[in-house]
Amino acid sequence: MAKHLRLYLRLIGVQLRGQLQYRTAFLMDALATAVLTMVGFGSLAMIFQRFENLGGWSLGEVAFLFGMVEFSFGTMDMLFSGFDPQHFGQQVRRGSLDQLLLRPLPITLQVLGSKFVLRRVGRIVQGALILLLGILASDVGWSVGKLLYLPIVLMSLVSFFGGLFVLGATLTFWTVESVEVTNIFTYGGSEMMSYPMHIYDEWIRRFFTFVIPAIFLNYYPALYFLDKPDPFDLPPSTSFLAPLVGFGTLVLALKVWDVGLRHYQSTGS
Amino acid sequence: MSSIITVSGLHKHFSVPKRRAGLWGTLKALARPEMTVVRAVDGISFTIQPGELVGYLGPNGAGKSTTLKMLTGLLVPSEGEVWVNGQVPWRERERYVASIGAVFGQRTTLWWDLPVVESLELLQHIYDIPAARFRDNLAQFRALLDMDSFLDTPVRSLSLGQRMRADLCAALLHDPVLLFLDEPTIGLDVVAKERIRQFIQHVNSEHGTTVLLTTHDLSDVEKLCNRVMIIDQGRLLFGGGLPHLMERFGGNRELVVDFAEEYPAVDVEGAAVVARDGLRVTYQFARQEITASALIGRLSARYRIQDLAVREPEIEATIRRIYEEKLLESP
Repeated sequence: MAKHLRLYLRLIGVQLRGQLQYRTAFLMDALATAVLTMVGFGSLAMIFQRFENLGGWSLGEVAFLFGMVEFSFGTMDMLFSGFDPQHFGQQVRRGSLDQLLLRPLPITLQVLGSKFVLRRVGRIVQGALILLLGILASDVGWSVGKLLYLPIVLMSLVSFFGGLFVLGATLTFWTVESVEVTNIFTYGGSEMMSYPMHIYDEWIRRFFTFVIPAIFLNYYPALYFLDKPDPFDLPPSTSFLAPLVGFGTLVLALKVWDVGLRHYQSTGS
Repeated sequence: MSSIITVSGLHKHFSVPKRRAGLWGTLKALARPEMTVVRAVDGISFTIQPGELVGYLGPNGAGKSTTLKMLTGLLVPSEGEVWVNGQVPWRERERYVASIGAVFGQRTTLWWDLPVVESLELLQHIYDIPAARFRDNLAQFRALLDMDSFLDTPVRSLSLGQRMRADLCAALLHDPVLLFLDEPTIGLDVVAKERIRQFIQHVNSEHGTTVLLTTHDLSDVEKLCNRVMIIDQGRLLFGGGLPHLMERFGGNRELVVDFAEEYPAVDVEGAAVVARDGLRVTYQFARQEITASALIGRLSARYRIQDLAVREPEIEATIRRIYEEKLLESP
């Protein structure tokens, strides 16, 4: 295990060094990602100037939600870049996956170590800032429970998004045409999760409850942190399902990934 | 001695959707795809002894790479058994691949942005190679493969020949007992080919590494391999030594004769005239029917001969003949 962690860090180190060779390109990229996030949030802030609240949520409260999602998605996008369906699908088609299978290391570790997009740091920092802004602007009555739960929720979100990436990568074993669809779920999903769920139509909410259980990872935890009433009258414990749903998604995704790998090894395409 | 590779009754079948013509066909194929079974490998058995250097030949799509993928554990067969070095390649992948080396032609195992030497050091950690052994092996291989000039070059900037050398080195640093090579000389110039061949030979004879290589290039086989296996349409057509192959399928040899004077007719029993250019006449004869010395005897009894030469058929032509004329088609 320790050996695997060391090797993982070495593999990541290779990626980092490759990217830092092009320092200017890296800085520009990080800056661009940060600006994009900022513009997204800026336009939201502008809307607030007119309407003052969004479904009863203040700008600060939405910023809390928005920052949580941005920070976690950015972190995931950095750590799980190897599983990025678009990138991974290409690896499969080019036969690069075979090269990984020829090395005596767990394949999951190698895929994680095959790509690490450092410039996502821009999005991560930006997300953290917006989250901080949200915390400062809204009235979070901090308690030990909330302090402990916040990092857990963030990690759950990272695992959840990571699970979606792994599932998307797995689909490319069968068809590369799946990539566009997967992107709707990952990028589109994270976008929608940045706003309070109760502003959406019921069918969308149902989708994010039963198909992709995103509602348990951002909306319900946010209700707990911001001490807001639940418009859907679910038990208060619903706010604490995040780790179960987040880590559960990742574990489940990795199981499906194993099935995909076995399929790959029986068809080789 | 027991075999290092044992393959018996190996099959690999792929289901591929049947393509149909026209828009309607495409739509129908989408709704209810009809599958065709492609028998990429269709019942192959062979054994390889430790220390052998075996060439695996066949035209494109014959099943060479599919076989190699199964031997390296990348693919799981549809049917049949494979034992390599006491292991089943596709079970316990990590343990198995630690004991073999493999280079798949055009693809590199190395890290694109890293200088070659750092890629190799990374492999040292991945394969857990003791520092002393790594140092010795690297020193030896870099000398043999003449790698000094590009050790610090990033892999992406290497020429194809350099990259192949780096990949060979990478595949052997952990002292594998077996080396699988898929088209190791493809796309290389004559000098680069030669260097790679010498290296493979060295590894085989000095380290006792068993080598199985696929190739299109018959001079690879001619210069390297003590045994060839020929595969076509998923079936093994021939397995044996090169001389044996030539003897069995070598087809017609040629005798080129420069006569001392002009003769109106130069016929002789047992051989056919295939070319005539002034005093020079080329005969073709079957090795099963007449020996070269008997033919020369007959000719010199009748004509005055200035000079002569016997031409052996080229291995390339021989193998092409085997494919084209289906000489080995099993009933």
